[in-house]
Amino acid sequence: MDILVSSLFAGLLIGMVLALVALGLTIIFGVMDIVNFAHGEFLMIGMYTGLLTAQATGVDPLFTLPVAGAVGFALGIICYYGFIKFVMRGPMVAQLLGTFGLMLFLRNLALLIFGSEDRSLHHGVLVGKSFELGMGIIIPATKLAAAGLSVAAFVAVWLLMNRTKVGKALTATALNPQGARYMGIPTERMNALAWGIGGGSATIAGALIVNFWSVNPFVGLLFTMIAFAIVALGGFGSVPGAFFAGLVVGLITEIPGFWDFMSYTFEFEWMMDVPMTSFKYMWVYVAYFVIMVFRPRGLFGWKQ
Amino acid sequence: MKSWMKVGMFALAVLAVGLWMVPSGAWAQKEIKIGVIYPLTGGAAAAGRELRAGAELAAKIANSAMPDLAMPMAQNQGIKSLGGAKIKLIIKDHQGNPTLGADLAKKLILDDKVDGILGCYFSSVTKTVSAVCEQYKVPMINGSSTSPGLTERGFKWFWRTTPHDRWFTKDLFEFLVGLTEGKVQGVKAVPREEINTLASACEKTEWGSHVSGLIEEFAKEYGFKLRKSLLYAAKSVDLSSEVRSLKAARPDVMLFASYTSDAILLVKTLKAQKAHPKIMWGQDAGFEKPEFRETLGDSINGILTRTVFLPKVVDIKKLAGQVNDLYKEKTGNDLGGASARAFTGLQTWVAVLEKAGSTEPQAIQAAANSIEIPGKDLVVPWKGIRFSTKGKELGQNVLGSGLIGQYQKGKDGKMELEIVYPFDVSSADMIFPFPEF
Amino acid sequence: METIKNALDFSDFPRLDLTVAGAVALCLIIFPLFPLSSFAMSTMIQFLMFALYGMGWNTIGGYGGQVDLGKAQYVGIGAYTTAVMLIRWDIPFWVSMPIGVCFAVTWSFIIGYPLFRLKGHYFAIATIATSLVLKDIFEVWEFVGAARGLEISPIKYHPPDFLRLIFREDIYYFYFILGFFFLGILYINWFRKSRLGYQLRSIKDNEDMARSLGINVHWAKIKTYAIATGFVSVVGSFHACYIKNIEPEDTMSLDISILIALMAMLGGAGSLWGPIIGAGILIPLKSYLKEWLGAQAGLVGIDLILYALIIMLISAYEPRGVWGIIEKIRRRKRA
Repeated sequence: MDILVSSLFAGLLIGMVLALVALGLTIIFGVMDIVNFAHGEFLMIGMYTGLLTAQATGVDPLFTLPVAGAVGFALGIICYYGFIKFVMRGPMVAQLLGTFGLMLFLRNLALLIFGSEDRSLHHGVLVGKSFELGMGIIIPATKLAAAGLSVAAFVAVWLLMNRTKVGKALTATALNPQGARYMGIPTERMNALAWGIGGGSATIAGALIVNFWSVNPFVGLLFTMIAFAIVALGGFGSVPGAFFAGLVVGLITEIPGFWDFMSYTFEFEWMMDVPMTSFKYMWVYVAYFVIMVFRPRGLFGWKQ
Repeated sequence: MKSWMKVGMFALAVLAVGLWMVPSGAWAQKEIKIGVIYPLTGGAAAAGRELRAGAELAAKIANSAMPDLAMPMAQNQGIKSLGGAKIKLIIKDHQGNPTLGADLAKKLILDDKVDGILGCYFSSVTKTVSAVCEQYKVPMINGSSTSPGLTERGFKWFWRTTPHDRWFTKDLFEFLVGLTEGKVQGVKAVPREEINTLASACEKTEWGSHVSGLIEEFAKEYGFKLRKSLLYAAKSVDLSSEVRSLKAARPDVMLFASYTSDAILLVKTLKAQKAHPKIMWGQDAGFEKPEFRETLGDSINGILTRTVFLPKVVDIKKLAGQVNDLYKEKTGNDLGGASARAFTGLQTWVAVLEKAGSTEPQAIQAAANSIEIPGKDLVVPWKGIRFSTKGKELGQNVLGSGLIGQYQKGKDGKMELEIVYPFDVSSADMIFPFPEF
Repeated sequence: METIKNALDFSDFPRLDLTVAGAVALCLIIFPLFPLSSFAMSTMIQFLMFALYGMGWNTIGGYGGQVDLGKAQYVGIGAYTTAVMLIRWDIPFWVSMPIGVCFAVTWSFIIGYPLFRLKGHYFAIATIATSLVLKDIFEVWEFVGAARGLEISPIKYHPPDFLRLIFREDIYYFYFILGFFFLGILYINWFRKSRLGYQLRSIKDNEDMARSLGINVHWAKIKTYAIATGFVSVVGSFHACYIKNIEPEDTMSLDISILIALMAMLGGAGSLWGPIIGAGILIPLKSYLKEWLGAQAGLVGIDLILYALIIMLISAYEPRGVWGIIEKIRRRKRA
């Protein structure tokens, strides 16, 4: 029983963080109809920013979030004005190619600068600590904090999108760019803002994740794929959709845990021999494929 | 038709010029080129630096005379039987990628014209590199890849100095049995049922997957219950579901085969998940790297690792102490399993060349097959080096042996590896059971 | 007969193109006569392999406009079929290669049917997903060696072995892949003028229009996808014999998929010469940069950074690649 409950908790906690990973992607997609392949690389940069800031200044890794957010916001805006703006003029294939190039660029730049070693945080108030809730549920403190901050970030973005003038302008740009331009909304700036918010939320997610995962220049793709699965499930462009889909994907990554629960509870010998942990991300890819083919609008999608 | 003839003539001319330009062999051999392929970047970069330093130190000793070192290669400059020819290492980086390794080997053999190859640490890379060497009939000596399969392929140009995982894994089970019989220093006989269930997590390429298979095999043979054995990617950035799966099996003994960064991540995650097995054992590699000790600090107190060299060996072997001092001077660290074996690997190369008295592959092959290095000339605590020349295994050193060490916090607060197996050379009381993190 | 004539008919290209192509072909044929390093040789073989991968990709990705980022899975299927059959049952290359193509094509039908309900980005990402799923499966499948991979033993066969395609010297491999390369060009030349080729281009221009003309859009895409798959699988089989060591992490890695697609797009998707130009630029660039900068100065990744920058520039200014630029210049000259 405790295997089941602990897996459930672990899945939900990581799901809240993964939701934040997908948030930036869904915003950019919602506003501009462009898919950012370099999304995971933004996140990887966030991870390095968090790690290096914490190591250089000695502050607790959790307090590096503003730095990471600022770096991501700036990076998003630079990418938009320096690159995406030009790519947007071309056909879809060019956008795909372009963001893919951006992904390769950022990934290998990180490789050049940081080397391919895995790095991780070893010091911090919460690093390595965990709470025991009974029933065999053990919650690492860093994950709990990351999940909490992730929810806070989500709420902040949701409020920004729905309760402020800027957010309304963003939504208007998303729904009808030409109309928005006629209404005097600076759509160009709105696009840049979407990239800024998208980049910032990705790097913040990265700075949270680096508290309990290690980082190397190649982690980006995994997160890009996870983010795509979440966005597909939640509906492209939907912010609350991304949150709930994040939880679902978090649970999907815990399938090995549920499998263990089944095999030990019912003593199925053959189940114990299946190398389920090798497949932990495969189910995410399968989920993406199945959702896209059978329900392309996702669970909460409003944009086709 | 005529133009085709012209092309043909041209091609022939080019060919003729090309043949002229090919350097016609090296007669006055001043240096012997050994290609060295190690993981200098990538997840095992730290190990690569150690390996490189070990091999370079051995080359330095071979190339200069250091009479106070009691080993043959320190006595004269260069290779005596080759007129004092110097050893030159051409070091390449395989990044942990087997295909890249094979590519580099080809380049070393065909473009750099090396006389032999040393490497490659990762068993998966050693596999492809040795295949290339076999094809081109270039001798290769391997100092630190321990997958048993490597010497079971019937290769005639591949020799391995290190003992392999079959011995190490057997050592582990002998040790566990010894524990139940009260043979371990400082521990009363432990009832069998207290350490009867095992679980293993190994990295999933050549080396780890073989270790995993061996653990399964020996567990059956020695009558232990292996509840879970899982494979994981060494490049993982998160191992929490693997660790939860291990924990769910409720093992008394946890066994690992991990490279550096994944070993650190594993122990960290185990700690965060409050796992408390009675014994934790690592199959060398990551578990004995300086990084492992530095990053994890006190939490590794009580972890066991198999190895072939511990700084404690210095106490029983004078030569090891002297080489260790030289190594420490060069790098600031003590010799470890990786660097000591890289050192021994190149030392074997030197001895083989000395015996061969030639750089002809055939001569080297004959010399390697009949070489006999006594244990007193080695840094590592082995009986010596002699390669098997018939039977199932070809080119395996049959005189090697392994150790099991345990991390213990010394009086000065520093983590030291103490020998706990073989029982007759143990250097301290064993900590049992494994203290909680 | 008609088919062969069509395949050999390059008359719709300007004479300049054909002269350059002929000169390049001649250079390729006499290339091994130059006393170059083994490094140059292996770079050349890689160039030919990737040019072939690119040509395969170009059918669906270039003429069809469906950006496929999962070609590595077919490299894997081809390579594994050949290696497994050779190692387990000693079946020679010339038998296992067509069988590999059959497997690859079957798999492409299985996933192609649902896959082509998706478009644009969603399609591209779904191809990555399927490729990663297949790789994960191969990594635990004991029969094909799991994550350890398979090794074609260098001592079991006696090179030169033309049946099993086991050689010691690279020169044999070079001429084999060169042969495939010329055949590939002829095939693509035929393909682009075939009925399916025209259908595809109309689908790329406007899918609804194509449908209203009575083209079975879904089926046309699946068929072309299968052709692309066959191409890649053949080279995958060759890869197994050439490299002699295959493992999922290497043979089926996403990097190969990306390289294939980006190479074709860089050269110019949707033209016969595009993928060849792309491979011709990128493979030597990659190898030599890696050798000069990466290995010597320890600058890992510098080759791919440059590569990424080129791709970004191309996508921002001329999405039709190098071939697009050449055509633009030509048009300007004519005007």
